[in-house]
Amino acid sequence: MKLKEIAERLGWELKTPQVPLETEVKTGYASDLLSDVLAHSIEGDIWVTRQTHLNIVAIAVMRELAGILLVSGAEPDADTVAKALEKSVPIFRTSLPAFEAVGRLYQIGISGKR
Amino acid sequence: MHIMDLAQNSLAAGATRVEVRIEESLAEDRLTIEISDNGRGIPAEMIPRVTDPFVTSRKARAVGLGLPLFKNAAESCGGGMEVHSETGRGTKVLAWFRLDHIDRAPLGNIGETMGILITGNPSVDFLYEHLVDGKSYRLETPEMREALGAVPLSDPAVLEFVRGDIEEGLRKIGAGTFPRFARLLQ
Repeated sequence: MKLKEIAERLGWELKTPQVPLETEVKTGYASDLLSDVLAHSIEGDIWVTRQTHLNIVAIAVMRELAGILLVSGAEPDADTVAKALEKSVPIFRTSLPAFEAVGRLYQIGISGKR
Repeated sequence: MHIMDLAQNSLAAGATRVEVRIEESLAEDRLTIEISDNGRGIPAEMIPRVTDPFVTSRKARAVGLGLPLFKNAAESCGGGMEVHSETGRGTKVLAWFRLDHIDRAPLGNIGETMGILITGNPSVDFLYEHLVDGKSYRLETPEMREALGAVPLSDPAVLEFVRGDIEEGLRKIGAGTFPRFARLLQ
């Protein structure tokens, strides 16, 4: 499913409006520990996290992730958004906590398969 | 991040002076955070227990969860933490981290933290010092008190000033960097 459709169906708020959302997404990963995400995420994952600082953009770039979903209503830092725009990394936000956000992703067919 | 928690411990221990020192060494890949006070101190036999989160006696709880969490954060980032204390003289908490460790949390808004501490405790002396490879920033409330004259440190304008001054000062000395991430994001 295209990232754009996922975001629309699950009602995510897009924090990086100029970034294209045409990536096809099949899988996701959820973790707040950056080293864990670096080790276990795979290319094309939607990454679910509560971390908001600039370094999440670096991880997304390094692992070629499809995008980042910030949960529990977390707002990205200003420099995080600026860098995400520059690097074309989509960042979304939901008021749902991680467990609920991941559950809804799973319901529409996005799995955690490695 | 942890600085507010630990400074609160110092205040709860009756400190009249709290010193926060941060040093970033890019060459040694090391971040050190030191918080020292002249409070009533921790008895020697209590020191091993203050970093044990499972000790829940009332006495141990007097220092809160700040120390165990700080220790855990440091150890998760290739560092560690030490507590030095002398009853009646004060306490010094020293933690070190690998500066470039991938799981290290950013320093956070230190200007805000110090601003709240200073304006909320106008009779306590605070020192904030930050070194980055030889460059330094320093803010001290006894000097501020003198410069402010009749304006008390509890004035809301002081919060604005401290926040802005620290933010600008840290930018000037290049504080808060993650060299590896910065290279990746170039």
